[in-house]
Amino acid sequence: MGLIKWARVKSPWILHINTGACNACDIEVLAALTPRFDVERFGVLLKGSPRHADALVVTGTVTRQVKDRLVRVYEQMPEPKFVVAVGGCACTAGVFHSCYNVYGGVDQAIPVDAYIPGCPAKPEAIIDGVVKLLAKLKGA
Amino acid sequence: MKLSEAETTFQVPIGPQHPALAESENFTFTVDGETVVDVKARLGYVHRGIEKALENGTYIQNLYLIERICGICSHAHTLCYSQNIDEALGIEAPPRAQYIRTLVAELGRVHSHYLWLGLAGHEIGFDTLFMYAWRDREVVMDLQEMITGNRVNFALFTIGGVRRDVASNVVERVRKGVNILEERIKYYKKMCANEVTLLKRAVGVGILKPSQAINLCAVGPLLRASGVKRDIRKDDPHAAYDEVPFNVITYDGCDVASRLFVRVDEVVESLNIIRYALDHLPDGPIRVKFPRRVPPNETISRVEAPRGELFHYLKSNGTDKPERYKVRTPTLANIPSLCEMLKGGYIADIPITIASIDPCFCCTDRVAIVDTVKGKKRIWTWDQLRRYSEKWHGRL
Amino acid sequence: MTTTQESQVGIVEGLKERIGSDNILDTRTARERRFFVTVKAEALKAAVSYLIAKGFRHITTISGVDLSDRIEVVYHLDREGFQLSVKVAVPENNPVMPTITDIIPGAMLYEREVHDLLGVVFEGHPDLSRLVLPEKWPDGLHPLRKKYSVEDIRRMVNEVE
Repeated sequence: MGLIKWARVKSPWILHINTGACNACDIEVLAALTPRFDVERFGVLLKGSPRHADALVVTGTVTRQVKDRLVRVYEQMPEPKFVVAVGGCACTAGVFHSCYNVYGGVDQAIPVDAYIPGCPAKPEAIIDGVVKLLAKLKGA
Repeated sequence: MKLSEAETTFQVPIGPQHPALAESENFTFTVDGETVVDVKARLGYVHRGIEKALENGTYIQNLYLIERICGICSHAHTLCYSQNIDEALGIEAPPRAQYIRTLVAELGRVHSHYLWLGLAGHEIGFDTLFMYAWRDREVVMDLQEMITGNRVNFALFTIGGVRRDVASNVVERVRKGVNILEERIKYYKKMCANEVTLLKRAVGVGILKPSQAINLCAVGPLLRASGVKRDIRKDDPHAAYDEVPFNVITYDGCDVASRLFVRVDEVVESLNIIRYALDHLPDGPIRVKFPRRVPPNETISRVEAPRGELFHYLKSNGTDKPERYKVRTPTLANIPSLCEMLKGGYIADIPITIASIDPCFCCTDRVAIVDTVKGKKRIWTWDQLRRYSEKWHGRL
Repeated sequence: MTTTQESQVGIVEGLKERIGSDNILDTRTARERRFFVTVKAEALKAAVSYLIAKGFRHITTISGVDLSDRIEVVYHLDREGFQLSVKVAVPENNPVMPTITDIIPGAMLYEREVHDLLGVVFEGHPDLSRLVLPEKWPDGLHPLRKKYSVEDIRRMVNEVE
């Protein structure tokens, strides 16, 4: 595989967006960075800007206000880009389906490449999802 | 030069339960040079519509929705809810269930305070504290998983009691975990009390006088760090709190440092409560049956969540769905006090002052600075604000 | 009588004296530390002033419920763990109340929240602007009103887009 692809697979840069459901998935995403799970050993780095990100990790469900922001952030990311939906709410509306301001999972706003279910998704599941995404990147 | 209405304004998005998003500016700061002069609050970033949904769900369905109002103190919401419906039905959870509720609620407090300690360290730029605190927090996560089956969102508390029992082989491991956590928190207390750079950022910062705290109806560690001895576990006992001995922690500093030490000491108290609950766990059933329909009634339930007084109000109408279910979270109660504390403080102290009330937000918040003199609007990330504040404090 | 019952009786007597017994529509002791009193809307502020003087300086929150022809607003006051809830009803077609933020500043955000979700207007509130509803929310759509279903709200919010 080419140098750029190798670099991407070996060290995907990630932007984490929380659309703000209940924060449980966020603390598990943060926990994945801490010593016990240490997702950085896979070369995964958390970045602050969409322009530097290979993958967008989204937690939380999609409300009306968030939809625009999600789409805008997605459009700012350079190709090839991948989206990971972490947690039940990001996959579908989860438990909030009966709430009037909730529209559903992340795929209501942007295309999703990996769905990691769980409420919240455990750090091991998040790492598993990231590894599967890397496998997909390899094939890209 | 006097800046009249052409003063620089900061807008900080932040929420009581959720992190902020895009353009929703939730705090508007009016500044004069480096000092904050006025603060206005405006929430509304992630309004989901939960209270309406609760009117359309059955009491059992609502248990799972309520749990997810906030993932960090979800146990507090389910405890408060279960107690509320118990009272409305006129039933009582068995003694063993009350002790398990107390034990798991205190474990939740330990978890929340450890999490906060790490995030507060991160806000001051003390990332070592963040990594250490979150590593130790994993001990609590393991205990929670051992007892309830999940690290977060336990689905343990239910109407009429608890859903799972604490097995005897688990009890020994919980004791071991508690000992480790106590040793670690005492180490952090010593470290924080002697760490000059941390104290410089925390002592005398974000002052909230007792009279202000009382007038603005503050709750939780914020109130107790201003010397006011209020704690729902003592004032309005529920679960097994009327039987378990513990101290209400107060400090008189009225500043960020006091709030840190209140939480650290509360962890020690919680660990003692957990030990007591394990030693005195009554035998017997863990739940009672309950009917689907709740007779017309009006009940109030309160718990001392890690962030303060959590309040639930139910108006039932004889059906299997509530007429009205109202939730008031502690962070909302503390926002007026937060606004007051920020006034007269430096811009560079905004991040740690906001963090000191332990609101439920994460570090992806954004700051919008509106320079009305030049008519320009600059957007900073929370990271940039934090770096600005580190640089500014480094200069002193 | 227990101390709680004694003090509850004392409170009711004092309240009768302050606002007049025909302004008190109902009292109910649910249990220990849970007391509900229903007063006429015009007497609300005087009642709250009296209770503050009696030590109920902490307001836990203000809740409201749409009961079709009227909106019941409940002020949940607290004194060292004792919850005293003052209930007031305002007509659904004219839900106006005086603010209490001049006597309890801590009520600021709670009145704004009830205004957002139920449409109650608190006269004299320094800043009754939107608190919890999002930016582009249609004016006048108060989601906790029973006349709107979740589907209604979703539809009306989408129309504003």
